[in-house]
Amino acid sequence: MKDYRLNTETPLIMHLDLNSAFASAEQQAWPNLRGRPMGVTNRISPECCVIAASYEAKALGIKVGVRRSEAMALCPDFILLETDPTKYTFMYLNLLRIMKSYSPNVKMKSIDEGIIDFHGLGKLTAHDLERIGLDIKEQMRRDVGKWMRLNVGIGPNRFLAKMAASLHKPDGLDVIDHKNVIDMYKSLELEDLTGIADAFGSRLRAHGIYTPLQFLEANDELLRRRVFKSINGLHWYERLRGYEVDDYETHLGMVGRQWVVKRSSNDDDYLRSCMHYLTETTGMKLRYRNVEARGVCVWVRFSMGGGWQDKKMYKSTFYTNQDIWERVSRLFDHRPKHMVVQMIGIYLYQLTPSTRSQMSMFDDVQKADYLTKAMDEINDFYGSFTVFAADTLTGKRNVKQKIPFGGTEYFELLLKRV
Amino acid sequence: MDPTIEINERVDVIAVYHRQGDIASVCVPCKMRWRGKDIELTELALRHPTVAGKRMIHVFHVSDGTNGYRLEFDAEALIWKLVALIPELP
Repeated sequence: MKDYRLNTETPLIMHLDLNSAFASAEQQAWPNLRGRPMGVTNRISPECCVIAASYEAKALGIKVGVRRSEAMALCPDFILLETDPTKYTFMYLNLLRIMKSYSPNVKMKSIDEGIIDFHGLGKLTAHDLERIGLDIKEQMRRDVGKWMRLNVGIGPNRFLAKMAASLHKPDGLDVIDHKNVIDMYKSLELEDLTGIADAFGSRLRAHGIYTPLQFLEANDELLRRRVFKSINGLHWYERLRGYEVDDYETHLGMVGRQWVVKRSSNDDDYLRSCMHYLTETTGMKLRYRNVEARGVCVWVRFSMGGGWQDKKMYKSTFYTNQDIWERVSRLFDHRPKHMVVQMIGIYLYQLTPSTRSQMSMFDDVQKADYLTKAMDEINDFYGSFTVFAADTLTGKRNVKQKIPFGGTEYFELLLKRV
Repeated sequence: MDPTIEINERVDVIAVYHRQGDIASVCVPCKMRWRGKDIELTELALRHPTVAGKRMIHVFHVSDGTNGYRLEFDAEALIWKLVALIPELP
């Protein structure tokens, strides 16, 4: 047999993925929706998108991102519910609690998937991890409900564990190690590999790599110098063999918030209030991550198509809600005000670690810091937006709490506030 | 499309509190009187907590085998409310 220089260590990484998480949570809560094509969306509107679809809906071609009208055309009986964040919070907390009972090395990748690293926890075999995987599935069924199905993947690195978790959906449990990884590659297409989408697939094919097995057989020089033209090539070389290259902390580049305007409008008061509300939640996120920003960007998308954006960098950093809003409102006022707005957003960039622990020489800076700290403490204790700018009242009524899909940091903040 | 019917009415509820069991199953609503009609609840599908401001609310998703109901128990005022239902679907 050919020597692929595979990692032969015992697989000790477990990837857990809740199947069609939000849709499953709704089907768990509403028994008469089980077995039916259904999905959830943030807010029902004529052109809203499905953000999670049940397995029955996926079988009919209704996937995440499909518009309501398309979904109805594919299946006239399709049921669409609005999201209920408290259910998903409950589901997330249960999954996290169960995972943490097995290892302190737990990392949630998003609201519905996470990783347990079993390194350093005594001598464990792949069989032990399989048993733990089955236990976790059982606990989720017991503590949340029998409709909650979990895919479990076990592998020597994060990549292979995730691949294993995607092999048999729903409710699968697979182990990938040096003994069966070649067979797995033989059964897959390039785009089935996590992290290889159309662009990377085309790039690989342009260099004569048409299958995952050929990808594995490609040497590191070819991948690094010609295919990826970066260190990424070497990372892929290692990753495919089961060596860990994905265990790193991501760098926080920006924080922000966007919102599809509930009723498309060019009403300045309404839009300003909603933008102010987004600014307050962005400030909340900024301080939670313990960073300060130097840059601010405000953008708008129009109902007629097209958009507008403006950004500005400042010499000094800022983090209080007042400072952020002062900068945002100045930019926002320059937008073409006659245009009807469909979507608004804000992000802060050029983030640096917070210097709030340092005393300022200037009295007013110190006062603003104390005020912000006091407001954050009140909101932490009594719940988000117990104290808020009066101007955000309209925004607060209209902007719904979003379901964070990427990192779980904002979600953790919301949980803390609850 | 969205078959949920919002109700938001106070209801009479008989719940069984089990001596043993975890939080998911210790309190089980088993009968409800709504608009003069008695409804036997046969399945506790999901229970989860939430808050309304500072008030603790326990949400119970239950079913009578045909319809699904969302009941909420206000832990401060000790009242049960039928918040929404999804009727039998064709």
